[in-house]
Amino acid sequence: MPYEALDFYDVDSLLTDEERMVRDMVRDFVDEEVIPKIEHACRDGVFPDEWRVALGEMGVLGAPLKGYDCPGLSYTAYGVICRELERGDSGLRSFASVQGSLAMYPIWDFGSEEQKQYYLPKMASGEWIGCFGLTEPDYGSNPGDMITKAEDMGDHYLLNGAKMWITNGTIAQLAVVWAKLDGVIRGFIVEKDDPGFSAPEMKGKHSLKASVTSELVFQDCKIPKDRILPGVKGLRGPFSCLNNARYGISWGAVGAAQACFDSAKEYSLSRIQFTHPIASYQLVQNKLAWMLREITKAQLLAYHLGQKKDAGTWIPEHISLAKMNNVDIALEIAREARDIHGANGILDEYCIMRHMANLESVKTYEGTHDIHNLILGRHITGIQSFTREL
Amino acid sequence: MNLQTPTVRSLIFIDELMVEGTSKGNHMTIAVLLKQVPDTTAKISVNGGRVDENAVSKWSFSPYDEYALESALQLKESAGGEIVAITAGPARCEKLLRDAAAVGADTLVHVSAENINDFDSIQVQNLLAAAVQKSGASVVFCGKQAADTNAGSTGPGVAELIGASCVTLVSEVSSDGGGYTATRPSSAGHEKVAVSAPCVFAFDKGICEMRRPNVRGIMMAKKKPIETWSVEDLGVDIGANGVNIDSHSPPAEKPPGQKFEGADSVSTVVSKLRDEANVI
Repeated sequence: MPYEALDFYDVDSLLTDEERMVRDMVRDFVDEEVIPKIEHACRDGVFPDEWRVALGEMGVLGAPLKGYDCPGLSYTAYGVICRELERGDSGLRSFASVQGSLAMYPIWDFGSEEQKQYYLPKMASGEWIGCFGLTEPDYGSNPGDMITKAEDMGDHYLLNGAKMWITNGTIAQLAVVWAKLDGVIRGFIVEKDDPGFSAPEMKGKHSLKASVTSELVFQDCKIPKDRILPGVKGLRGPFSCLNNARYGISWGAVGAAQACFDSAKEYSLSRIQFTHPIASYQLVQNKLAWMLREITKAQLLAYHLGQKKDAGTWIPEHISLAKMNNVDIALEIAREARDIHGANGILDEYCIMRHMANLESVKTYEGTHDIHNLILGRHITGIQSFTREL
Repeated sequence: MNLQTPTVRSLIFIDELMVEGTSKGNHMTIAVLLKQVPDTTAKISVNGGRVDENAVSKWSFSPYDEYALESALQLKESAGGEIVAITAGPARCEKLLRDAAAVGADTLVHVSAENINDFDSIQVQNLLAAAVQKSGASVVFCGKQAADTNAGSTGPGVAELIGASCVTLVSEVSSDGGGYTATRPSSAGHEKVAVSAPCVFAFDKGICEMRRPNVRGIMMAKKKPIETWSVEDLGVDIGANGVNIDSHSPPAEKPPGQKFEGADSVSTVVSKLRDEANVI
């Protein structure tokens, strides 16, 4: 059955013509190039390189960035792109999120003019892949205590430390790495062939299997002085990137939820038990109605947040709420959809279990569900509860 | 006008050819005729004997028109020139023109006809032929038939009206800067047909799928003006409605399947598969 996007409140009618054309372009790509290949890619544990090429050719990488051959679309369009990509697979959306929001954005916002001119065009075209090194083995939700450090050696910087859970790491030509220079967090551009840098792939994932996840290792890694991002100091740098990536995730999760709903609806209409389609039973209809309700709310949340991003009236807490809520309901929808599919739900003939496993990662990365609750708790009360003296 | 035998001014069946035509370097304008139809995957409902347009969830290019557009884009890339995308219909058709611009159409022409469904195929051909002539195009690409009506009359009909050669069932067109060579199937495989402008090519499924647009194309398409021509602007008398469909005959229903149960029926099933179905 062709995919029919659930849009109960006709939210997409609020998009501009241009945003709808971008949606259709990416949706067709996902239908034609991603869905027929995704299960094999997951079994093989690879990110197909032709998807990188296609994303570059479509011109969607770094979607909301302007200039330097970047697309210059609205943030709403960027959200729509994420939604359509994640309807295919969270790993595909992760690739685009990392490239655009975590690798291109810091260069675009905090880089020197020379860095922008050198890196951004080839990243927008997909010729170069970027990754983002913030999380460390012992510092996930608490990146401020990172131990990766940079030393000023006069004519170069020396990086030492390790990063973990880095999407695109092994296949990237460059990494935007956050490290402490004289105790202050700074951003550095590390290129693949820089001496002392390696990016081994992490194996054995049950989630995001069609996405490359890596460690970044810096052992006396020597980089030129002009690779520091001059425009930012402190956690504001990485958090600015994360805000954009989290924003995209709030849309992306809707796409995964729509895929699960679509499959559950079709399955329930065709699966006969006790002589009737299971869709005719009240318990199943209750589940489908709940999915419809939550997806519709998530769509409205994502769209309105997109409008606020485009109008510049957003605050980070808005993004926390949308990321947290939309991933949460997407994961629950995947679980309910698996239930509706019965035993068939565990097979890769259906997208359900793959989306469910992916969303477990999405719930945790880019600020865990709980951390976003704490961000909102701080916003409500004015009291931070991330840490305390024990 | 006899649509059964469209004028074909120059058909040459050859492998290597020299043809007359515009000299190399002359500006080539290709008009691509596009029709917006309900997407082949969209659910449709019928109301009053017609497709309920308000209930169509997705409109798309007629698939054979996509082959025509892609072939025109490839010809433009190899031989230069300009592409004029022309569609006739209500306001919703402008989306089709934007989509054509997003992949590379240079000029967009909307022949505004809110009541296009009241026109018969000859009246539509009159409109399109007038639009082609007004656009200045000497080469016309279109699909061999539309996915909704499947009449297959637009290409030959427009060719007749503008006095052009017409080649149907085309899979590929090339140009050496002078004439045009079209590839189409023949009883022996494929044949190459050489024609000179003015000419019309009606495309079958060819060797290429329509390219995917990109963001740059979409953003340029947004800014591109659409020339809207009314029937009056075209100054054409489309004539009276002259094509009447007297009746529709649905395909004959398949006979109901036969059901066999139990081991005793095995020999019967085998004999039917062998003697009636001829599959074993």
